[in-house]
Amino acid sequence: MALSRTGRVARRLRRTGLQAIPSVLGIVIFNFLLLQLAPGDAADVIAGASGAATAETMAALRAQLGLDHSMLHQLGAYLWNLAHLRLGISAHFNMPVGVLILQRLPNTLLLMITALLLALTFGIAAGAVMATFAGRWADRLLSILALLFYSVPGFWAGLTLIIIFSVRLQWLPSDGFTTVGADLTGIAYARDLLAHLVMPAVSLSLFFLAIYARLTRAAMLEVARQDFVRTAEAKGLSAFTVTVRHILRNALVPVSTVAGLHIGMLMGGSIVTETVFGWPGLGSLAYEAVFARDFNLLLAIVLLSAIVVIIANVLIDLLHTWLDPRVEAI
Amino acid sequence: MQRSGTLWLLLRNPNALVGGLLLLVIVAMAAAASLLYPDDPSDMVAQPFMWPGQDAAYPLGTDNMGRDVAAGIVHGARISLAIGFASTAICLLLGIAVGALAGYFGGWLDDALSRLTELFQTIPPFLFLIVLVAIATPTVATITLCIGVVSWPTIARLVRAEFRALRRREFVQAAETLGYSHARIALQEILPNALPPVIVTTSVLVATAILNESALSFLGLGDPNVVSWGTMIGTGREVLRTAWYLTAIPGAAIVITVLALNLVGEALNDALNPRLGVE
Amino acid sequence: MRAYLSRRIFSAMAGSMLLVPPLVARADTPKRGGTLKFLVEPEPTSLVPIADTTGANVMISAKVTEGLFNYGLDFSLRPSLATGLQTSVDGKEMTFTLRQGVKWHDGQPFTSADVAFSIETLKKYHPRGKATFANVAEIRTPDDHTVVLVMSLPAPYLINALAGQESPIIPRHIYDGSNPLANPHNNAPIGTGPFVFKDWQRGNFILLERNPDYWDQPKPYLDRIIVRTIPDAAARSVALETGEVDIGGEYLVPLSDMGRLGSLPQLGIETQGYAYSPNVHRIEFNLDNPYFKNLPVRQAVAHAINKDILLRTVWYGFGVVTTGPIHPDVARFYTADVVKYAFEPSTAEKLLDEAGFRRGEDGVRFSVMHDPLPIGLMHMQTGEYIKQALGKVGIKVTLRSQDMAGYIKRVFTDRQFDFTNGAMTNGPDPTLGVQRFYWSKNFRPGVPFSNASHFSNPDVDRLLEAAQSEIDLHKRAEDFYGFQRIVVQELPDITPIAVKLFTIYNKKVKNHTLTADGIHCNLADVYIDS
Repeated sequence: MALSRTGRVARRLRRTGLQAIPSVLGIVIFNFLLLQLAPGDAADVIAGASGAATAETMAALRAQLGLDHSMLHQLGAYLWNLAHLRLGISAHFNMPVGVLILQRLPNTLLLMITALLLALTFGIAAGAVMATFAGRWADRLLSILALLFYSVPGFWAGLTLIIIFSVRLQWLPSDGFTTVGADLTGIAYARDLLAHLVMPAVSLSLFFLAIYARLTRAAMLEVARQDFVRTAEAKGLSAFTVTVRHILRNALVPVSTVAGLHIGMLMGGSIVTETVFGWPGLGSLAYEAVFARDFNLLLAIVLLSAIVVIIANVLIDLLHTWLDPRVEAI
Repeated sequence: MQRSGTLWLLLRNPNALVGGLLLLVIVAMAAAASLLYPDDPSDMVAQPFMWPGQDAAYPLGTDNMGRDVAAGIVHGARISLAIGFASTAICLLLGIAVGALAGYFGGWLDDALSRLTELFQTIPPFLFLIVLVAIATPTVATITLCIGVVSWPTIARLVRAEFRALRRREFVQAAETLGYSHARIALQEILPNALPPVIVTTSVLVATAILNESALSFLGLGDPNVVSWGTMIGTGREVLRTAWYLTAIPGAAIVITVLALNLVGEALNDALNPRLGVE
Repeated sequence: MRAYLSRRIFSAMAGSMLLVPPLVARADTPKRGGTLKFLVEPEPTSLVPIADTTGANVMISAKVTEGLFNYGLDFSLRPSLATGLQTSVDGKEMTFTLRQGVKWHDGQPFTSADVAFSIETLKKYHPRGKATFANVAEIRTPDDHTVVLVMSLPAPYLINALAGQESPIIPRHIYDGSNPLANPHNNAPIGTGPFVFKDWQRGNFILLERNPDYWDQPKPYLDRIIVRTIPDAAARSVALETGEVDIGGEYLVPLSDMGRLGSLPQLGIETQGYAYSPNVHRIEFNLDNPYFKNLPVRQAVAHAINKDILLRTVWYGFGVVTTGPIHPDVARFYTADVVKYAFEPSTAEKLLDEAGFRRGEDGVRFSVMHDPLPIGLMHMQTGEYIKQALGKVGIKVTLRSQDMAGYIKRVFTDRQFDFTNGAMTNGPDPTLGVQRFYWSKNFRPGVPFSNASHFSNPDVDRLLEAAQSEIDLHKRAEDFYGFQRIVVQELPDITPIAVKLFTIYNKKVKNHTLTADGIHCNLADVYIDS
């Protein structure tokens, strides 16, 4: 039994891996062609920022950036490099894309995971409370709160937090990743990082928190009606045990599905939050890449988030087999 | 019977009532914008940085260039709602077309369209939106189109699932044996039955579109010829410390509008999917 | 027979005497130690401005990579890597004496070969280098500490373009034989300057440390410089206010926030130190446009715009209402003796009526699109004002927003624009920074910041070309006066505002503005008074 399940998982992974190759290829080609439609190129951007140019500088820049070749040639070169796991040089930052992304990835992951954990913890808890007290005042209050969180633009939530906690109370830093030049280590460093992380993570999590709360509530109410719950109740298990072990566990299936989708969204979707808080992550990097016409960089970030989405989908399928044994790992 | 029941459910629901009323007020405000403030809201009309209440002529104050914030809010409602609804229409059109084709015909067409949908879904949506707007040069029309283009995959998946399920039902099979054309079966038999979940999603789509437009404008990617709430927040952000009302007021306008839409959506959901509602 | 002009500068004693800060009380003795937190925006893209002279790159570069000279607040030459300069009477031979005993940060000796290599590289790749070194026919290095530039024609402007930020001297042994644009040391520079590059964490900070072997002992006084980037404008204000950063300049904080920041006791504002590369704000017409090709229409626009309102609402007073393309701070070449266009909407309406552009039934004479330069808020805000002001005289203006790449392509490559506005630098000399916009031979579609208006005037061409190689300063000034008079008469652009850039600094930071390029210079003299 255990072995066959492992076998199924392996099969699933292998199939996903094979399916992922054409998907990734499609994503790269689609985005490459899409970006060709954008007016101007990286050399124009450099000249624009430099405030001066000559025909010779432009030609030299284009030659260096490989922009002097035809579009198909550039696409071919990009795919060739990609096949050899080379992501190329960033036109804007003038350094290898891989290095650049690796520098920013931990920051993005930290922000993303913190925000998702916050959202999941408080969202599921709130949803469970709402479902347990469905129709009563606790449910109504939390429902309205969730709806409010769902309606607040992320950047505005961020700015509001800044006004309150940075400007008025002066408790938290409004910007950046750590206090530069403070040379902190150990606990002091962790505290500094945490102080910088709180506001971006909270403002990013509100929207997702609201979704998870509502999903958990709906799913729990749905599950509560099903036979195995009635059986559990009939067996005389306590209400709390039934709620947590049977209802909540099964209700987590839709929540984790949606959360999986959100991982992909968050890889590039924290652009606004990262901009508001000056958080040096992949979102702000991607944002800069668009305006710098830095296609090597942008394609790499899109590719990365696509791969993360694909992996997240697999992990969620596996999680489902664990949460709900009725779901087969097909 | 069914319809009046839905309406009754809606009216009985306090969320729907509050949301509907709020939405009505905002729509009225947008409709009356030219009557209330006939001049261009981007005109500099008074001394800059007047706080709300400082001058009765400018109840919500003026911004850093001496523009009337109240005029901006009223005219901004127009832009937000216009972009919200129009882009949702585009999104529905695309999403239903793709979803219906894929779900109805199945086979290779379904494979191809599903792949396309997945492709669109793997790109982080807001990043995708920014790329599209950078390509298209931001105007109200292009922003609307871009938001529509970015958001159709959700609808496509939803419609495809409904179509696939309904396709095997008896009444569709009956229509087939009667020799109805594909178009007639899809549009007259299946589509009306596939719509309820789409309708529920619509208000959320409008709300999301408004949020997306405001985020774009906030980042400076809005249409410079119109005043939008996001643009107002974007300019106000510069002076967050000294004049926080310039971000707070348009922000509140967005929250209220989106909240109203979500309340209505919630109520629609309860009405159309009663089994998930409050027992 | 060679005769030399007497312009001669000696290093050691004379040089260091020249470098006495004119603004700071003499009694202050600089203190050693401390960290300067330097704010730039946006993050630099490279730390050696060879082909990419993005503002932030230029701002940081000279701390590590020096130039041949520095320039006093009055533009007088101060020795840096060059200690002396002799120019032949005909202006066609420039002999630079180089400082001895200078070492690159990697320990290699600095020699004339580095200078020759740098000038060749800049001439080839630098966006202004081609103009700066255009007349350099030959570079001779008779010995390790002498460089001779042999010119095909005199180049009086060249002497002004040798600051570290404009013409950085790079190490030949690092760059030789490779594509200088792709050299990894552009991100980890090796220079001769007072500060040594240590670390660059992208999106976070750049760390520069004191060069203990700097040639100008006991300088530098600081232990290190941390360069920080803060993407959000309001957050930059906060950082300056709280002391999280110490100093920064150019378009750094929202001008709307300056009233508050300026009144804080710990902060100071310095408007000197920007004469090296002053900005003039221009509203530039496309003269191929069917409306703007008519001079009366351009005159009407000039009369319809209230420059005082622009100065007050867009620039918050950080500038002066000016008269022409050369910044008044470039006192040697500026003249106010040009045609003036008073704010008179009625005159504007009359001009438009007479030109045949009468108001239609909707009150509109014609419609045009306006493309503001996509940097900062001020250009879009200028556009918003222009839209309102021209609307009042019956010209309907639609604003178009796009990113930098889109703007460059639209205006300079495709020329699909009606009129635009943007602040642009005069450069260290009008020949280098101003000529490019008005010289008919620089009408080159595809080249950014060329003559986008398609202005073509034989007299202007003649005057600009004369000024290129005129070694008599007075005659050269006359050429530029004449140029300004014609340009303001012909109005290929309207130049409403001479921008006053400024440095905003924590008052504990001393000696930051001793040269014409202020905090763009090497900061060797800066110390922190705690």
